[in-house]
Amino acid sequence: MTGLAIALAPQAVLAAGVFGALGLGLMARPSPMWARALAVLAPLAALAALRLVVPAYLPPLVDVDFKGLAWQLVIYAGALPLAICSSGDDVETALFLGATLGMGLLCAAGNLVMLFVGLEFMSLPAYLLVARAGAQGRSRRLEAAVKYFFAGAMAGALFLFGLALYYGETGRLGPGAGALGGLGRAGVSLMAAAALFKIGAVPLHWWLPDVYEAASPEVSGFLSTSMKAAAVLFLVRLVQIAPDPMFAVVLPWLGAATALYGAALALRQKGLRRLLAYSSLSHAGLLVLGVGAWARLGGDPDALRAILFYLAAYALMSNGAFLFVAATGVQTRDDLKGWAARSGGTAAAFAALLFALGGIPPTGGFMAKLLVFWQSLRAGLVWPAALAALASIVSLGYYLGLVRDMYFEVPAANCAPIDASARARERILVLACAVGAVVLGLAPLLRIRP
Amino acid sequence: MSLLTSLWAVPALGAAACALSGRAARWTALVFSLAALGLSMAALRPILVSHGAGLLVEGGASGLFGISYSLSADGLSLALVALTAFLNLICAFASWELEVPAGYWAAFQALAAAVNGVFLARDLFLFYVFWEASLIPMFFIIGLWGSDNRRKAALKFFLFTFTGSIFMLLALLAVVIAHQRATGVWTWSLPELTGTDLGAGAPWILLALMAGFGVKVPMVPLHTWLPDAHTEAPAAGSVMLAGVMLKMGVYGIIRVALPLVPGAAAAWMPILALLAGVNAVYGALCAMAQTDLKRLIAYSSIAHLGFCLIGVFSGTAQGLAGAALLMINHGVTTGALFLLVGFLYERAHRRGLSDFGALATRAPRMAFFFGFSILASIGLPGLNGFVGEFMCLSGAAQSPILFGGLPFYALIGAIGVTLAAAYALPAFQSVFWAAEGPNSVSPKVFDLGGRESAILWTLCALMLWIGLAPQPWLATLAPSLQGLVR
Repeated sequence: MTGLAIALAPQAVLAAGVFGALGLGLMARPSPMWARALAVLAPLAALAALRLVVPAYLPPLVDVDFKGLAWQLVIYAGALPLAICSSGDDVETALFLGATLGMGLLCAAGNLVMLFVGLEFMSLPAYLLVARAGAQGRSRRLEAAVKYFFAGAMAGALFLFGLALYYGETGRLGPGAGALGGLGRAGVSLMAAAALFKIGAVPLHWWLPDVYEAASPEVSGFLSTSMKAAAVLFLVRLVQIAPDPMFAVVLPWLGAATALYGAALALRQKGLRRLLAYSSLSHAGLLVLGVGAWARLGGDPDALRAILFYLAAYALMSNGAFLFVAATGVQTRDDLKGWAARSGGTAAAFAALLFALGGIPPTGGFMAKLLVFWQSLRAGLVWPAALAALASIVSLGYYLGLVRDMYFEVPAANCAPIDASARARERILVLACAVGAVVLGLAPLLRIRP
Repeated sequence: MSLLTSLWAVPALGAAACALSGRAARWTALVFSLAALGLSMAALRPILVSHGAGLLVEGGASGLFGISYSLSADGLSLALVALTAFLNLICAFASWELEVPAGYWAAFQALAAAVNGVFLARDLFLFYVFWEASLIPMFFIIGLWGSDNRRKAALKFFLFTFTGSIFMLLALLAVVIAHQRATGVWTWSLPELTGTDLGAGAPWILLALMAGFGVKVPMVPLHTWLPDAHTEAPAAGSVMLAGVMLKMGVYGIIRVALPLVPGAAAAWMPILALLAGVNAVYGALCAMAQTDLKRLIAYSSIAHLGFCLIGVFSGTAQGLAGAALLMINHGVTTGALFLLVGFLYERAHRRGLSDFGALATRAPRMAFFFGFSILASIGLPGLNGFVGEFMCLSGAAQSPILFGGLPFYALIGAIGVTLAAAYALPAFQSVFWAAEGPNSVSPKVFDLGGRESAILWTLCALMLWIGLAPQPWLATLAPSLQGLVR
């Protein structure tokens, strides 16, 4: 029992945070400061508690291994920007911490049932968060939340049906089932479809752009980083528990197709948030390609590190980009024209983030892409890697296009002056994310012994 | 900080210092450019003394992912580093009176840092990082301070190069992985990767590498970004683009592509040389059709780099040495031409051939320098262009691997040389000697001032020096290329 308590210490901290936030609602007039403090302190405390955890396999439900720990690190850290930008609403805080807790549970899942619990636990609060959080566009948020809910419910249903088929053939919920027959493979396929649904891989991506566009930008940042990291781990765990040769064949191609599709559609967007949503889709494709390479290499730890590095870099880049939207209120690409002349600091930070997202050295985004390409080629996936490279080129069309809009165009004559003191928290966070995204690219160089 | 590191780190620091020094940025840029030139001379000195022998190496132990911070420099690298530092200083003087913000000066310093890193890297990861990093400052130089069509040109420049280089990255990764499979060691070090057996994938790897380097050179049909980028960039930007950044492509072919896949390269050499010949002729033909003076010079670069590649792909000592010298020559000569067009544009805000006439009487100094540089560019004996082009073509004529030793490729090159006179001299004539047309803006043009003349005296003196006494230059460059002689 103590083993379980230690292994799940971060999750316990987050659960305490959820109850604390709900408890705030019982107070007559809760100060927003309390909820804000809770939103920031709970993930920080979970990060601190992570240091205490030693890897442990506690069958049947809990398996806290290296990836479980590493993923928790990325997920909790990726949730911090949303926590810092919190409005101080107690319900939103509880929802946010609940979703984070669900991701933490998913990280510790040792069998398929626990995986499902984690999936639902992280998804349900997220639907409400999309609907609730944010100041404007309420009807659009509600519509997006409903769409998100239906997509999520469908993913959950697919998973459960797949699980039933899988259990029906093998009689197992955990690893070690051996080679599968037709029923079992159908089950695995359905469960994988659920994972790809949550990641937003083509052709199960249709809900994603609407949700990311309508949710408040901070929430979209959270969904595209922490939630996406959890969804990728969901897929990784699934491959680990029910390894099937199909994964190594299908995932790389799906990943490459997603990368290309996302990039091609992002190119056509006029709205900045929708553009970032499709760009997120494109990055998800590279992650799926990475998982495919990992599966093909037989669970090689280097391939796993590549995915992890990608997620860490992406947590900074995507959070930073969505926070730029939150900090500046820029809606369309036209609003961005001449931005450098109007607000030099945020423009420079956003430009650095865009170069990182585009994978230009020496940034973290470049290292991340390099590692995924590297592992793909190691696994012999030459053509999916070449397609993903093509997607990178296409994506540069809009990332550089945004830099061009900001720096090479002149502002419209009638644009309102910018209040440099407004939304200082968001501005500082954008800068921090930009610095982090660049430094992450230099880190491997700094660690080289001269 | 050791010497080779300082060659890229000093300009990098210079970029930061320029960005921070506000209105005094031009002085900061001047100080750092002078320092960079001094350092490159200090690095070049031992190699000059020993007639090209010697190799400076720094760093080496490999760390995370097999990446190592390791630099090396021989005569070729250091000559190109010195060229970069020299042209950067020239650019600083040429832009001295422009009303530009600190970012302009910082961008040029950052560009020099990245380009020098490319020429010095011995680790292919570093090579690639510097290679790509050099795009960012040039993107801003074109996009922020270029002429009317700059936005499109900047984007096109970046996208073309990036497209080529991402396939180059995949090729480099494939080599690294093949080396690891054979030896069990992860490394990106170029000397260690040289000689890796790539099996049946070798031609594909060569193709991908040539995609990366060919865009940069540029090789027809990957050249379409060049006329736009060179024409729209500010004068100093065009000088750095043509003078230094095109050389990155040739340097990459010499340093990376040919050594990594020698077998496939040998098999494909006749095709590659043919493409180079197409470059020389097609570039010249396009230049003949231009009505914009700057665009004409941009196309002439394509032709010149074609000669350079004919020399490289000849696989002879003479051809390779000529190619190396031609890289330096082209930097100096085309640099001078772009600066002159820039000075012209500053005065008249026009660049069309038909916008001018009879300039020789209004601006005799400008006419002299322009004529001098044009003659050097088309290969007048006694000036620098002749030596490099002659050596490239005679190398191709002697080459045992091209067309069985028959001078077929030299013939293509010779056509290119003839065409060079056919596009350059009429352009010179129509701007400086022909009668003024009704729309002429020649009256706006006044002659070069002291600063501008001093810059061009320096460049023209260098053209004459290399033309009359090429031996010390060749002695510095040629030993670096011995390994590629077949």
